Amino acid sequence: MEIVSLNQISPDQVVIWSYGFIILNVTILYTWLVMGILVIGSILVTRNISSEMNVSRWQHFLEVIVSIIRGEIREMTKKGADSYIPLIGTLFLFICTSNVLAVVPGYVAPTSSITTTAALATCVFIAVPFYGISRNGVLHYFKEYFQPTFIFFPFHVMGEISRTLALTVRLFGNIMSHEKVIGILLAVTPFLFPVVMQILGLLIGVIQAYIFAILSMVYIASALSAEDEHHVEVKKETVAV
Amino acid sequence: MHIDWFVFLAQIFNFLLLMYLLKRFLYGRIIKAMDDRETKIAGRFAEAEELKVKANEEAELYEKRNQVLNEAKEQMLNEATMAADAKRKELMEKVRLEVDQVKTRWQDMLVREQDAFFYDLRQRAAKQLYDTARKALSDLADVKLEDRIVDEFLRRIKALDEEKSVQLRKAITGGGNKVIIQSAFGIPALRQTEIAEALKKQITNGFTIRYLEQPEIVSGIELRVNGHKIAWSLNEYLETLVENLTETLQKEAHAA
Repeated sequence: MEIVSLNQISPDQVVIWSYGFIILNVTILYTWLVMGILVIGSILVTRNISSEMNVSRWQHFLEVIVSIIRGEIREMTKKGADSYIPLIGTLFLFICTSNVLAVVPGYVAPTSSITTTAALATCVFIAVPFYGISRNGVLHYFKEYFQPTFIFFPFHVMGEISRTLALTVRLFGNIMSHEKVIGILLAVTPFLFPVVMQILGLLIGVIQAYIFAILSMVYIASALSAEDEHHVEVKKETVAV
Repeated sequence: MHIDWFVFLAQIFNFLLLMYLLKRFLYGRIIKAMDDRETKIAGRFAEAEELKVKANEEAELYEKRNQVLNEAKEQMLNEATMAADAKRKELMEKVRLEVDQVKTRWQDMLVREQDAFFYDLRQRAAKQLYDTARKALSDLADVKLEDRIVDEFLRRIKALDEEKSVQLRKAITGGGNKVIIQSAFGIPALRQTEIAEALKKQITNGFTIRYLEQPEIVSGIELRVNGHKIAWSLNEYLETLVENLTETLQKEAHAA
């Protein structure tokens, strides 16, 4: 029996427990499951972490993942990547794990809930000014919204909001639609075709995780680069004076 | 699509919590491990580089030492060669001297042997000649060889010229007026008187004559006085014989 029926567009609608406005639905439950897997897995692997040449294969695996994330971030920012790894890395790992686990029967990816994707996109929406401001202060960051003239301010705001919405809907749309397609196919055609679609789903899940993480980094990097350009100008002025 | 704001906030919280937990248990540890490893590798590389530099320095040092050793070896070899050459020359010189000495000794010995041989030959030949002549004279002419020798001696005394006579006179006077006449045979008293008279007449008077029988004077007679002498013997003939014989032997030696 399916946890989320076809007519239920989101796992949010499957409420397990509720008390007043506090509810525990499938989305939160599977989010905890993914969190548990990631955190417990990390603890287990890094419990006996070694900086020697001979390390366990799981440590190798995690080092490869972290290295790739680090490399990608470094390519974007052209600077130190370590301060962005927690955000970008967690986005990628959480979304990827959520999507990949969709092959497990009975599991519903939390990312197929628009609430989850909206929450993640909101985190990115907050992180962009957070990193920008923490780097060079409030004034410089918000000054960018009035560049080249103050008329562009509404467009900048709309841009911020729209790209957050785009992040939300892209991930949600892909994962939700795929799950619905799989559900429909299981009902219509047996065996082979749904399996192929599941495999395709794995690919889509990983790609979507990658896209979400990369786009987040791009947004952060664009905010940082704007700050850097401003800094360069200030430096030039200082030299001129 | 409906967004439940509680779930929305809960998901934000969940995400932030996950971010914190992963930062603590995953990224922090993994990054630290990787950085530590990088540091270690960099340290090893630096150490390797340092060792390489040190090894190069050592290699240069050893090369220099090797060069010095080679030069020293070459020098020692040259010195040894020169010393060996000098020693070889010295030994060669020594050997050559020894060979010369041996050769000289051998030649001396050879000469001595030759002399002894010729002396012996002369003695034997003289004796044989003396015997033969005496026998021939006795058989053919009934004449004694000793008499003929004394006659020849007397003839020689009488044939002395004035200058020689003066010299002999002075010699006799200088020698204490003593004259020694040596002969291989005994001279009879009559013949001694003839000799004395001939001497007194030809040379001088007032000296004493002493007669000595010496077998070494082969078939001859001689007067000796203070470095001067009047003599006749077969030796003169024998000398010619020895000279001829020596020449013949040398020719044969050269031919060999």
